[in-house]
Order: sequence, then structure tokens, then C-alpha cells
Amino acid sequence: MHPGSVTAVTDTSILSITGLRFAYGDIVALDGVSVDVPAGRIGLVGANGAGKTTLLKLLLGVLSPGEGSIRVLGHSMPQQTLEVRSQVGWMPERDCLPPDQTASDFLGYAAELGGLPVRAARQRASDILGLVGLHEERFRYMGGFSTGMKQRAKLAQALVHDPDLVLLDEPTAGLDPEGRAEMLDLVRRLDEFGINAIISSHVLTDIESTCDWVVMLDGGKVLRSGPLTALSTPDVAELEVIGDAAAVAQLAVGMGASVEIDGSSLTISAPGSDPFTIARDAVLDAGAAFRRLGTKRTTLEDVFMSGGDSDG
Amino acid sequence: MAEGIVFDLGYKPHEGIRLGRSGARRALVRDGLRRVLGLRRRARSKILPAALMAIAVIPALFFTAFGVIAGEFDVSATLFGHASYFDLNGSMALIFVALASSELLIPDRVHGTMSVYASRPLTTPDYVAGRATALAIVVFAFLWIPHLVLFTGRAWVAGFGSYVTDNYEILWQTALASIVYFVGYTSIAFLVAAFSKRTAVAAGVFLGIVMMSGATAALVDAGYSIFGLGAILDHPGYIKDWILGSPQGDWIPARAGMEPIASLGVIVVLAVASGLVVVGRYRRAA
Repeated sequence: MHPGSVTAVTDTSILSITGLRFAYGDIVALDGVSVDVPAGRIGLVGANGAGKTTLLKLLLGVLSPGEGSIRVLGHSMPQQTLEVRSQVGWMPERDCLPPDQTASDFLGYAAELGGLPVRAARQRASDILGLVGLHEERFRYMGGFSTGMKQRAKLAQALVHDPDLVLLDEPTAGLDPEGRAEMLDLVRRLDEFGINAIISSHVLTDIESTCDWVVMLDGGKVLRSGPLTALSTPDVAELEVIGDAAAVAQLAVGMGASVEIDGSSLTISAPGSDPFTIARDAVLDAGAAFRRLGTKRTTLEDVFMSGGDSDG
Repeated sequence: MAEGIVFDLGYKPHEGIRLGRSGARRALVRDGLRRVLGLRRRARSKILPAALMAIAVIPALFFTAFGVIAGEFDVSATLFGHASYFDLNGSMALIFVALASSELLIPDRVHGTMSVYASRPLTTPDYVAGRATALAIVVFAFLWIPHLVLFTGRAWVAGFGSYVTDNYEILWQTALASIVYFVGYTSIAFLVAAFSKRTAVAAGVFLGIVMMSGATAALVDAGYSIFGLGAILDHPGYIKDWILGSPQGDWIPARAGMEPIASLGVIVVLAVASGLVVVGRYRRAA
């Protein structure tokens, strides 16, 4: 298992990758990727060129792995590509909508391509367009859609054949703040629809607000794979004080804690002791006051900048 | 005034049957038919296919009606025998294939729609075969229906019976010749469309290549018989005359001393090579 992984393989993995390597000629896009991710909403983060889109294409069987094995929803890739494609929807980053078709016609066709009978496909198209907020626009040619409407239509085509898993590649790309919030809300709702999602993005806050598991890629390697909840560290107290922060730090060290100080902010950890009790006593003894006190919360950005170490 | 209530029906999973890959293939062909004929598209997309279809079929309808009314329906009276009718609607088919091939293949690649196919239970050969099948259905109908009309008209005038039993072979012969025209033209048209970004340019390049192939006649006449193989425009017609057993026209491969089977070989090789290249090209496009 990759050193960056923090969880064990589960029986409910929607995705299991071992020793994956892929190169475009001499350029290595993915190298030694091994991850197991559970059902739910999975964030796939990394800088541009980290290998996110390549990984999604490998999951769909569009590309074949050079080395290693991939299992998607229990199916081996690329041997069982058609079985996987029957159960997966893909919202690509770039445009995928024919401008000379109405949203309703295209969604109906996309559902038929997913194996739905004609009548059911047309009904699904109507339902899904309503779900993504395009019901009023369903008879418009998609060439006249705004960026936000196109993103919704792209999400709709990924959902219209009722997949078990959707791969969303940069779903908020090009959206204004309002459109971004609406798209993220739709992504969050996928859970209640019973649809798993792998959301690829380089916008870390989008992943933090929508996902419950994150896979971080950098330079084609996995930096970290684990639940987002593991990013909060309850045995470390973070506080900001009004008064003499240096005195508070000194008193806390005297009580056996390790302290990092940055201006009026302190981070207190105390293996075997309660860092919050030490923080309270040190602040009282120094005659200072709390401006803020809480558990240390590591953002995805912190983890990413520290090279995948979740304690960073 | 009654007050409306909005119910959020939420997400309803599909609980009915799924048709899988076969359903996806059929959907692909249906969409191809709609695209070729401009159905469910803007009005201007319908004009050209409808006009070409009309030009191809109306003469057959006219001469059939004329023959039925006159009570006489031989080739000299109607101008058109089956072999010569191919010379009319074969040209229409050439233009139709040029426009329809680029319309079938280019938009999916240029607009990124190949990504949608990549997340459905389809392979790239399924995609190319589905598009080719859609075009084949329309081009076959385009080429063969006039012959069916002519045959029916002649049979009517002759009182059916012996005419049908004596001449039924013309139906499969014209059907076979229609397939040859389709394969002969479409393989090149698909190849050009697979590497073009604009439909009009692809259609123009294809027509240019086919028309320019007529220039091989000069090389053949100069003694370079091998260039007769490059007469793309003439191969289908040459094979058509062979199938129908009609007097062979002045086809370039014939002038080069080639047998019709050589022309058939060229068409088959081009079709296989074109299929492989187009599949390879579209595999990378997803």
C-alpha cells in the first residue's frame, strides 16, 4: 500500500488501483499509483498536469495502463471496459455538447446510448434536465447556452443513464461564484441520489466542501489518499491570545507541551496530556485571554504544500 | 386563482430494463439517420438531403407514371434503363456521401462529443460501424428505391406475372451495385472526414480527390496502365456494368485493361484501410 494512504482496503471500494504506471511516450503521467477508495464522493486533487485527467481516462478505458491493475466498481480494466462504461458517467472538462441539438434531444440520445429504451430515455432526459435546473431551456439548441448552462448540461448527460459512478472533471471550471455554488450543491446531492462520484479539481476548497475522501496527485504520484475527516487533528490545540503570547508558550512548555508560536497564535500539542487543559492553565497563569481556541484543522492546501504529510 | 405547489420530485433511479451494448448501437444508428437527413436539426440542415433525394427519385417516379399512363414502358420510351439510371443518381450519391460523411463524423470529434461515447457501453469500432450503417441505409435507399420504382412500373405495365419472373434478378443486381457505389465512395469520404475540422472543407476535399482521379485517364492513355487503379470515380460504375451485364462504358480501369475484379479489389482494400485508420483516429479523439 502506498505510504500516503491512511486507510485499509475495504470491501466496498469503488476503485482499487495497484502499481499503476502510464506514460505518453517518454513523458510519465502516472507512476506507481496505488489507491483504494470507498463509496461516496471522492476528491481527486492536484495541480494542472498532475495526472488527474489521465487517471480518469484510464478508469474509463479510453487509455490502457502500461503497468499495474485497475478495478472500477469491481470490474477489471481494461478487460471489462464495457461493463464499467455501462455503470459510469463522465463529465469531461472540455466541451462535449453538440451545438445543433436541443438539450432534450441530446439528453434523450445520451440516455439511449447508456442502454435505456427510447421511451424511458426521453422521460429520464426530461427529469434530469429538471434536476439540474435546465427544464425551461430543454428545447433550446445548446450552441446558445451560457457557460453555466453548458456545465449543467454536461453534468446532466453524465447522470442521465443512471450510473453508479460519475467522473466529474473540473465541474466548476469557468463558472461565476453563484454558478459555482449551485454546481457544488448539485455535486453534494449526488449522495442522496445514491451515485458515487470522483471529482477531479485543482480548486482545493471545492473538494473540501463536497467530498468525504481525497486522493492527492502530484507529478503523477499519490501524495495522500484518505478521508477528509483525518485532516482535523483533535489532539492539537490551536489558539490565539490577547496578551503576552511568549509567556503563554513558556508556561505551556513548562507543563510538558510542545509549542509552536507565530505572533499571537500558538499551536500546542502534548502527547499523553490534554493540550486544551494546558492551554487554559498557561493562559490563566500568564494573565492573558483567549481570542480563539480550537482543534488544529489542516486544510487540503496545507497538506498539498507539505507534500502529502497530513500532519503538516 | 389556484395556487400552485412545486414538489421537488428528487432523483428517480431507472428501474426498468437496460438494453446494453446492442441498445447503444441501435441508438447510434438512429442518431446517424437523423443527422444525415437533418431531422431534429435546424431547418437548413434538412434542405440539401431532401433536395438530393428528390433529384434522385423524381425521374424514376415521373417516367414510371408516364409509362403507366402511356401503357408503354420500355427503355427507349423512358430514357432510363437501370444501368443508365445509376449514372444519374450515382452522381447525386457522390455529393450526398460527401456532405453526409463529414456531417456524421466531424461534429462529434470537433465538439468533444466523443467523450460522451467513451462513457457508454460502446467501442470505437462500434461507433464507426454505427455511423457507416446509418449512411449505408440512406445511400442504399437513395440509390436503390428508384430502381424498385422503375421495376414496379414496368411490371405494372406488363401486367406483373411473367415480367416479374423474367426480370426479378435486376432487383438484387441493382441492390448489389448500390452497395458497391456506397462502399466505393464512403471509404474515401470517411477517411477525409476523420482528418478534417470543417464539414464544408471535408466535403470539398473529398469531391476534389474523386474528381481529380479522373485525371488518371491521361496517364492510362499515355501507357501507364497501373494508374487505372487510382480511378476512384470510375470503379463503382465499372463494377456496376459488370454486375448488370450491361455494355461497359468508357471507364478508366477498362481502358487500362483491368478486369472488374481488380476494381472490386481496390474498393475492398480502400474500405478496409479506411476503416482501420478511422477507428485509430477516433480512438484517440475521446
